[in-house]
Amino acid sequence: MNSTKPIRIAIIGTGNIGTDLCYRLLRDSRFKVVALVGRRSDSPGLHMFKNEVDHLIANGIEGLVPFLSEIDGAFDATSAFDHKKHWDLLANAQKWVMDLTPSKIGRPLVPVLMGKIPTMSLQNSISSNYSMVTCGGQSSAPIVHAISSAATGIKEVEVSSSIAALSAGPATRLNIDQYIDSTEGLSALISDCNKVKAILVLNPAEPPVMMRTTVNISAASCDLEQAKATAARIVTEVQKYVPGYEMVVEPYLQSLNTISATVKVTGAGFVLPDYAGNLDIINSAAIETAFLHNSHNRSVDQK
Amino acid sequence: MTDTRLYDVTLRDGNHALRHTLSSKFVSSYCEKADQSGVWAVEVGHGNGLGASSFLVGKSVESDMALLQAARESLKKTKLAVHSIPGFATIKRDLIPAIDFGVDIFRVATHVTEADVSQKHIEYLSNKNVIVHGVLMMSHMIDIKGLVVQAKLMKNYGASAIILMDSAGYFIPKEVSERVSAIKNELDIEVGFHAHNNLGLGVGNALSAIHEGASLIDGASMGLGAGAGNAQLENIVAAGSRELTLNPNVYSFLQMSKLVEEAYFDKLPRTTSSSTQSGLAGVFSGYAPQVIAISEELGMDTNTLWKEMANRKLVAGQESMIREIAQDLMNL
Repeated sequence: MNSTKPIRIAIIGTGNIGTDLCYRLLRDSRFKVVALVGRRSDSPGLHMFKNEVDHLIANGIEGLVPFLSEIDGAFDATSAFDHKKHWDLLANAQKWVMDLTPSKIGRPLVPVLMGKIPTMSLQNSISSNYSMVTCGGQSSAPIVHAISSAATGIKEVEVSSSIAALSAGPATRLNIDQYIDSTEGLSALISDCNKVKAILVLNPAEPPVMMRTTVNISAASCDLEQAKATAARIVTEVQKYVPGYEMVVEPYLQSLNTISATVKVTGAGFVLPDYAGNLDIINSAAIETAFLHNSHNRSVDQK
Repeated sequence: MTDTRLYDVTLRDGNHALRHTLSSKFVSSYCEKADQSGVWAVEVGHGNGLGASSFLVGKSVESDMALLQAARESLKKTKLAVHSIPGFATIKRDLIPAIDFGVDIFRVATHVTEADVSQKHIEYLSNKNVIVHGVLMMSHMIDIKGLVVQAKLMKNYGASAIILMDSAGYFIPKEVSERVSAIKNELDIEVGFHAHNNLGLGVGNALSAIHEGASLIDGASMGLGAGAGNAQLENIVAAGSRELTLNPNVYSFLQMSKLVEEAYFDKLPRTTSSSTQSGLAGVFSGYAPQVIAISEELGMDTNTLWKEMANRKLVAGQESMIREIAQDLMNL
């Protein structure tokens, strides 16, 4: 098998996330964008790529069926509700999917935590479902891990994100409860603590604000210097796939037994301007995971 | 205009002033008095509403449910209400238990430009046997035309009233009149108004809203609320009775305010140089405790911090940014 052959993909969803993904994957030689799937022929997202993608599909997932043999997998940027149906169809056709909705169907994956958290690993079947959880999940998870690994007796974990209102599309707005639920699930998985809380604030300020995520962890004890060092190191690792990820308030004792830290995510500025760090981090995670999953399974096939 | 109903936020907005230390014991004794006063509803809970107890905006000493239970047991005639912000509260975790618990009124609140985030919550509640209002917070941060658009969204989702919150205490009476009448004229819906006292205009603004036909008027006993506090409920009643726009029993409201005065004298809000500055800047006055604490810790002037927060147009729920802005200003 030729390992340099591009990974053939479809993108389902033509909102903020789908169009940003499409723009980036068209410029990434590791991938070939075979199809972009929307639900309306007048979708501005489809129109944006009219001469760049082989199959611009306007009638939803049904429209993708005839082309399934042309793809290895798909990125689903629709909604948690629709993802279920999409995954049924893709799994049947032996395809992988990177789920960018908060559906919680697939295995949650934060690329930087692979090998650090037992359940965060690549799957051995090409037809696998990876959940990218949420933007707040991707931005908070590395810091939750850094602080948790320096703490003992974790009592409570809280992750709060504020994002520019302009960067929150209709699906995010409508499904804010699912965002919270999925983000909390990821925090629990990483910290091994069941008392978790996620908060999302949409900020309409002009000029738009950069995405910020604050992590608060209450624990019986914590080695603050270790938390600082681990957090600094992991931020550098995240920057390899999300260059705009940075620490703005390093771990400090917010109160007795509560450690707090804040990161900021500046977007790469592809389809939406640089304030859309929330799109950047979840899309970068999905692209990174798709590449690693395909490389992994190609090498598995070769064995 | 005797159909004006008074909506008491002492036990919710007041929890900001108490740094979320409100006790179920106080809720019980207050609600017993409130139930005799003719006040239409009492709102209870964390200052930022259901499910908001957090490191970000402050932990409640007692849970939502403990406070609601105390209120439910004491309220027979007066309705029990909650404030709820999507992004903090979720349907499953917070709204469903509150419905099961017997809360009568749910006020689903968003920042004034983000009403669409309330869709699922308002739709869900409007199919239950409860009263649901849509609340537009920081309502000064949009023009009148935009305000009507946002109010209409909440109406279409199923809200039976739209409440305008002057969360920063920024409005002057003329601006209140213009906004209430715009919504009354363009949408066939009940309108409420929630005043803060940063510029000393809380009661005056509440009366302006009544004059334009707002029928749900928020107030807090002794003004117990975020920042410079809310419009003083007993003073709305007293002034309203002189104008003949309101006709409740002033004396029973004074008993409620006396209870607050005795329990929390040292926590009563007042207009200060800091709250006037935040009001003039149009910044959410609930940030005052953090602004004062962080300014003191880093040795900086509160007014400088308020001004920079205004420059960055901070909305409610962004407590974590205050420290960052302060550090930027101090070049830390």
